[in-house]
Amino acid sequence: MSLLTNIILVMAEEGPHRDDNGQIVTHHWLWPERSELIYGTVSSILIFALLYKFAGPAIVKGFTARTERIRVELDASATAQAEANAEAASIRTAKGDIDAERQRLFAEADAQAEALLVEGRAQLEIDVADLEQRADNELVAAGSRVGDELRAEIARIASEATDNVVAVGLDSATQQALIESFISTVGAS
Amino acid sequence: MSDSRIDGYARGLFEIARAEGTIDEVEDELFRFARSYEASDALRNALTDEMIPAGKRQAIVEDLLGGKATSTTTQLVSMVVGSGRGRDLPAIIDKLVERASNSKNLELAEVRSAVALTSDQQDRLKAALANATGVEVNLKVVIDPSILGGIVATVGDVVIDGSVRTRVDQLKSRL
Repeated sequence: MSLLTNIILVMAEEGPHRDDNGQIVTHHWLWPERSELIYGTVSSILIFALLYKFAGPAIVKGFTARTERIRVELDASATAQAEANAEAASIRTAKGDIDAERQRLFAEADAQAEALLVEGRAQLEIDVADLEQRADNELVAAGSRVGDELRAEIARIASEATDNVVAVGLDSATQQALIESFISTVGAS
Repeated sequence: MSDSRIDGYARGLFEIARAEGTIDEVEDELFRFARSYEASDALRNALTDEMIPAGKRQAIVEDLLGGKATSTTTQLVSMVVGSGRGRDLPAIIDKLVERASNSKNLELAEVRSAVALTSDQQDRLKAALANATGVEVNLKVVIDPSILGGIVATVGDVVIDGSVRTRVDQLKSRL
């Protein structure tokens, strides 16, 4: 308290300094006036004290929170990295599985293709045998059909020939004889 | 065409022919024309083709019958064909012949022969058929070369077949 009193007293002792023209100027080109220095020093101390008293906890709290956030983020990053490593391991495993599955599928496809080939060959042989049998049957049927058609054609030609022979043989006298015979027969019935 | 309409046409034609006093000739000519009509696809097509104008169809009839049949026959056929009833001509004519036969108390006897019969043969055949069936007949002779020879007579439901065609067919069937 005595320091503050002394400072005020010193301030009270110093008066304004004037240049040659009577204008009020500072005593030194660099240093402020003593009173300003005292006021500034006291004010700064006061402000720093107030800051330390009131803003200090908030700043400390902010830094603590920031530290905590960074720590959490670091933890999250570590967790993400661990997960990524696990996922990578899983993918590598899956890739291995896919390769194995692909091999298995290829093997299965080859087996099926082989089975189909064998079955196809067997079916082909059956079909060829069936076709040969059918061709033989059709040959026999065609032979029979041609024989039937030939017989029918011969019968038709024979029939026409018979008609022609009969028509040629039926001269006018025969026609009249047939008519007279019909009249006699009907008349007698 | 319905039976009643065919009957109506037949009755009309019959009355016209009777009024003209030419029923015997007309029914005979019409009967022969009907058989020719049935036997000829070309004639049947020409007289029933709706695309041919009625006048043209009537001209065909007049060309065919003109000078060979009585004018009454020609005009009656022409009228039926002109009225678009050509398809029913045989049925109408058969009804007319039946009506004419009934009017004379005769049974229609359709006789098919490969060659034409003399009038003496027709008279003796008529008497023979009357004797065989017990009814007087109205004889209508149709020349039908397809029977080859002999005669096929149809009186009502009775058919007396003395044709060579039938004998040949029986022989073929047996063979």
